Amino acid sequence: MIRKVGVIGAGVMGAGIAAQVANAGVPVVLLDIIPGGAAKAVERMLRADPAPFMGRAPARLVTTGDIGTDLALLADCDWICEAIIERPDAKRALYAKLEAVRKPGSVVSSNTSTIPLAALTEGLGDGFAADFMVTHFFNPPRYMRLLEVVQGPRTRAEAVAMVSAFGDQRMGKTVVRCKDTPGFIANRIGGMWMQSAINNAFEFGLTVEEADAVNGRPMGIPKTGVFGLMDLVGIDLGPHVAASMKATLPAEDPYVLGLREHAVITRMIAEGRIGRKGKGGFYMRVKGQKLAMELGSGEYRPSAKPTLESLALRNLRELAEHPDRAGRYAKAVLLDMMSYAASLVPEIADTVADVDAAMRLGYAWKYGPFELIDRVGAPWLAQALRAAGRPVPALLEQVGDRGFYRVQDGVLEFFGTDGAYHPVPRAEGVVLLADIKRRSQPITKNASASLWDVGDGVACLEFHSKMNALDPDILALIGKAVAMGKKGAFKALVIHNEGEQFSVGANIGLALFAANIAAWGEIEGMIEGGQKAMRALREAPFPVVGAPSGMALGGGCEVLLHCDAVEAHAETYVGLVEVGVGLIPGWGGCTTMLRRWSEAPRMPKGPMPAVAKAFEMISTAQVAKSAAEAKEMLFFRPTDGVVMNRDRLLAAAKARALAMVENYAPPARGTLRLPGATGRAALSMAVQAQVAMGRATPHDVVVCEHLATTLTGGDTDFIVETTEDQVLKLERQGFMALLKTKGTLARVEHMLETGRPLRN
Amino acid sequence: MPTYKAPLRDMRFVLNEIADPARLRGLPGFEEMTGDLIDPVLEEAARICEEILTPLNRSGDEEGCTIENGVVRTPKGFKAAYDAYSEGGWGGLSSDPEDGGQGLPQTIGMVVQEMVCSANLAFGMYPGLTHGAYAAIKKHGSDEQKALYLPKMVNGEWSGTMCLTEPQCGTDLGLIRTKAVPADDGSYRITGNKIFISAGEHDLAANIIHLVLAKLPDAPPGTRGISLFVVPKFLPTNEGKPGQRNGVVCTALEHKMGIKASATCAMSFDDAKGWLVGKPHQGLRAMFTMMNAARLGVGVQGLGLAEVSYQNAVAYARDRLQGRGIDGVKAKDKPADPILVHPDVRRMLLTMRAQAEGCRALCAITATELDVATRHPDPQVKQDADDFVQLMTPIIKAMFTDFGWDATATGMQVFGGHGYIRDHGMEQFVRDARIAQLYEGTNGIQALDLVGRKLGAHAGRYLRSFFHPVLAYIEQHEENEAMADFILPLSKAFGRLQQATAEVARRGMGDPFEAGAAATEYLRLFGLTALAWMWARMAEAALQHPEDTTGFYKAKLATARFYMQRMLPQTSALVACIMAGGETLKQFEDAAF
Repeated sequence: MIRKVGVIGAGVMGAGIAAQVANAGVPVVLLDIIPGGAAKAVERMLRADPAPFMGRAPARLVTTGDIGTDLALLADCDWICEAIIERPDAKRALYAKLEAVRKPGSVVSSNTSTIPLAALTEGLGDGFAADFMVTHFFNPPRYMRLLEVVQGPRTRAEAVAMVSAFGDQRMGKTVVRCKDTPGFIANRIGGMWMQSAINNAFEFGLTVEEADAVNGRPMGIPKTGVFGLMDLVGIDLGPHVAASMKATLPAEDPYVLGLREHAVITRMIAEGRIGRKGKGGFYMRVKGQKLAMELGSGEYRPSAKPTLESLALRNLRELAEHPDRAGRYAKAVLLDMMSYAASLVPEIADTVADVDAAMRLGYAWKYGPFELIDRVGAPWLAQALRAAGRPVPALLEQVGDRGFYRVQDGVLEFFGTDGAYHPVPRAEGVVLLADIKRRSQPITKNASASLWDVGDGVACLEFHSKMNALDPDILALIGKAVAMGKKGAFKALVIHNEGEQFSVGANIGLALFAANIAAWGEIEGMIEGGQKAMRALREAPFPVVGAPSGMALGGGCEVLLHCDAVEAHAETYVGLVEVGVGLIPGWGGCTTMLRRWSEAPRMPKGPMPAVAKAFEMISTAQVAKSAAEAKEMLFFRPTDGVVMNRDRLLAAAKARALAMVENYAPPARGTLRLPGATGRAALSMAVQAQVAMGRATPHDVVVCEHLATTLTGGDTDFIVETTEDQVLKLERQGFMALLKTKGTLARVEHMLETGRPLRN
Repeated sequence: MPTYKAPLRDMRFVLNEIADPARLRGLPGFEEMTGDLIDPVLEEAARICEEILTPLNRSGDEEGCTIENGVVRTPKGFKAAYDAYSEGGWGGLSSDPEDGGQGLPQTIGMVVQEMVCSANLAFGMYPGLTHGAYAAIKKHGSDEQKALYLPKMVNGEWSGTMCLTEPQCGTDLGLIRTKAVPADDGSYRITGNKIFISAGEHDLAANIIHLVLAKLPDAPPGTRGISLFVVPKFLPTNEGKPGQRNGVVCTALEHKMGIKASATCAMSFDDAKGWLVGKPHQGLRAMFTMMNAARLGVGVQGLGLAEVSYQNAVAYARDRLQGRGIDGVKAKDKPADPILVHPDVRRMLLTMRAQAEGCRALCAITATELDVATRHPDPQVKQDADDFVQLMTPIIKAMFTDFGWDATATGMQVFGGHGYIRDHGMEQFVRDARIAQLYEGTNGIQALDLVGRKLGAHAGRYLRSFFHPVLAYIEQHEENEAMADFILPLSKAFGRLQQATAEVARRGMGDPFEAGAAATEYLRLFGLTALAWMWARMAEAALQHPEDTTGFYKAKLATARFYMQRMLPQTSALVACIMAGGETLKQFEDAAF
């Protein structure tokens, strides 16, 4: 059991790892070689965006110190993770010192990305080797979900199990077991891919935009592609990686054989053009204009969207077979990367599933290399390799015309090195909706949502519209699900999906179109329908548990506000952001925030504090940047749960829902004490003050007026009780009135077209 | 011989009581646009059209254009008419005074255009094309190009063309093959063949300025690789006079169904010298500037022909005595009643009238928005106006020209067998009207433009420019008892249009084929609803004149009632077609056609 953690080295990785341990609520000691360096790192992280900490509370769990004087702080740590300079001698010297302070049974690991484990334990004795392993995190540690774990021949199995369990359940990572080979899995294959993508871009005379377009959406790689990624991670990193790979890999390894020095890139590094952290890179922005570098000359020119015909193709194989330069390039890169990956199992990992998981989680690829091979077809790849006179890896020969994956009896299976298919393993306690969907049919579904039986009498409502935007179909399915639950089809409901975002809110494109054709009745219907659906969730005679991950904004947030409980992935971003598009929350968001803040124990009494708090949050579209922050902001209740590992979310939500089933009674409709006109006047004055300071735009004022009217209860008075129904009606009226203004229509249009709010 | 009398009374009504003259006068440069200034312009335009252009219409059709050794001759009298037209400044009526134009609003320009189209459509092609080329150079040309070409194009000394179409490339301009190679002196050498070039070669002007779409050697594929060039027939000398003959020749005249006096040329460019207009590869955008204006102009052609067909049909129906009224004898002193008394003849005449007058009103308000979009100082107002023009352009082009074809055929129908005889001139209107449904993008393409480009653009923002004012209009008048006959049907049609719009957008998002399958019916539904709005507004205006003794306003109200009761109900059938979806179109086996 790990109750306290030590991290040595407060660089980007060490500090980030320490922050994530703290995010899990576990005390952590952070030491650095530079006196005061660790404390500075914590300070820096509190200002950084994206933030390594999930709030201010975790930062208080970090104890900082210096390696030189404070090693004793590590005495009661169960796990000590080393993340210092990548030099074996320095690391070994540190380990030797650790032996004097660490407690028996504690585990030491290195976050090395380049040094073999064997080299790190040299001369340190069996006792240390038994407690030592490699734990390789990815940058940034809070957000990248991969943890590569390497054990040596002498490492204790319990040590591996303990750290793996901590990494999985507390730090939220997916643990992938690797062999002790250079670069482990992700950097070995990712490095090869980058090398091939760069070399071939020179070889085929592609522009950087063309190369990035190939190494982007068609391959399921983030749109930074390869050159954009180099700019992001730092172009100066390249030679270091190359040197380390050359030093540790055999000379005949394709990675080593493919090492090239490009004069243009060498010059970039020499001139400090090393990417975003330097003076620009392959791309740069000058006075708002995006420039791109010509690979041939090293000169910059305005960046242009590539126009090659092959780049319009959506099918990867068609792209790789297209005769234009991007097509030929795509084929060359795919052949290099895929054949390399296929040649490395089982050398670097036991299974193809492990390799794919590492690439998905460590490089944010949508598909791992073997999943990509399945997309183009293993026989196509083998044939293309033969045609190019290149060797066909044994595993590829072995799989023949089958796929590396198949679904058998509803179970996803991978192709093993033994020639048989095996179920893709899931860690104990992990329940994935994707697995349930493979083996069952939905209870009911429509174009935007489905209802699944997730066992033990619990149903799961899944959104699957684009960005999980809430539309009439989703509202309809919520209504239908509640009706089925009332009839006893299930005893508890979980609202969960495995999309990138839980839900980005109501489909404002539909609303805008309807507004443009003056279909006001239809829009009123959508607002009322939404309120009804939310109310149905809240008043259903069975527990409803929300299980979000990613963004839950606007209407997506309102869905969660109407759940009986929430089990949220730690990485959940929540807010009522309607004012960004010139609207106010219309599906009970205003009403619920009023209720929550007025019931909050620490709030001062009287009608105004809760109203003012809700007004402040909604009028400035405050977004909680983690589940922990969402609790502080009362988007979630203090009793709601936070789950660090996304893969464990559904199981946790299901357990929570089942625990609530017995004697469940839905919450009663309440009343509120709202200040009415006097409160509205106070809020108006606050808005005017913002205008005077230049912080509020003319249309902000219009939006705030409607928000203030709604939150203060309209024509009410604090001596009378205002019903929730009255506030809901005000929400509808405010929403409709705003949607009829030009300012709001312009904001919605701008958001749809640019993804950014319009400040009109 | 057909006759033509410009409908000045109705034109004034539309300009003064339906379009917003105050809005027009609020635009910079248009402060003086009052009736005092506009009336003489309209009267003089009417005179030219009635006295000079109308008489040449039949003869021009009979004689046609001829070609000999690459030299094209227009029919007798055309040159003199062209000179008179140019000297009167009609070619530059709405052109910038800076270029020698009259600087009048396009709202007025469109009305004059209608007269020209009624009088002699083929003649109108020559100045019409020049104006399109003028607009493109004005917007996208360099200062030098503007100074060299614009004044002479405005005064008619030189004329212009738009060279887009090639044998393999009509709607799909990405297929263009004409090449442009840069020369050392900054000019380009253009080589390729163009067809269907209106006014490509003729004897009316001293020089012809071709605007040519061609591809540069480094052009990206498709429509993103098209550039626009100006290629004069005679290379201008340093003094700006026509100089050396350029490598562009007319190789043939097309043999057409109608507009025979308009020279429709096959053009060959052989290493012709030309200059880039605007930026490389941005030619299509430049062309679209012209095309939007040109599409409105083609819509006006349909309107003009509907009007002249109506006038002649009415005259014939009054004169022609056949049979007796089925509800009793009407002209006891005559051997038979005029056919005007027959219900079906009355139906035909009222239909034509409702089409022409409705379109005239819609054209006027759209042209006013075009003026606002061109001149208003506030970018927001400009954009709102442009949204409306963008939305209405395909509707005006397609529905007006469909009506032009309907109304000329109906006019011929009123004549019975005599309509089929060339001497009466009614069949010429039919033949002339047909082209307007085809060129500047067939009406099918207009419908696709509406559902594909205009409907979804900016999440439906263009639609707002129509739906919001129409709903406001309905709400403003729905309590008014006197307006009930007009507001109720308008409101119903409006609801149908809302429903169909939402449905077409919804289905189109899932399957573009569905949007395409609904497009033509949807465009007509939209157009009929827009005309219902016009007829309601015209009725509203007519109701302000209960004391009127001329019969003008009474007839207006009667036509409005006819439109609401006898034409607008077509919208229900259209909605039914749209709602039925495109399945029957999609499923039919290709081989079975």
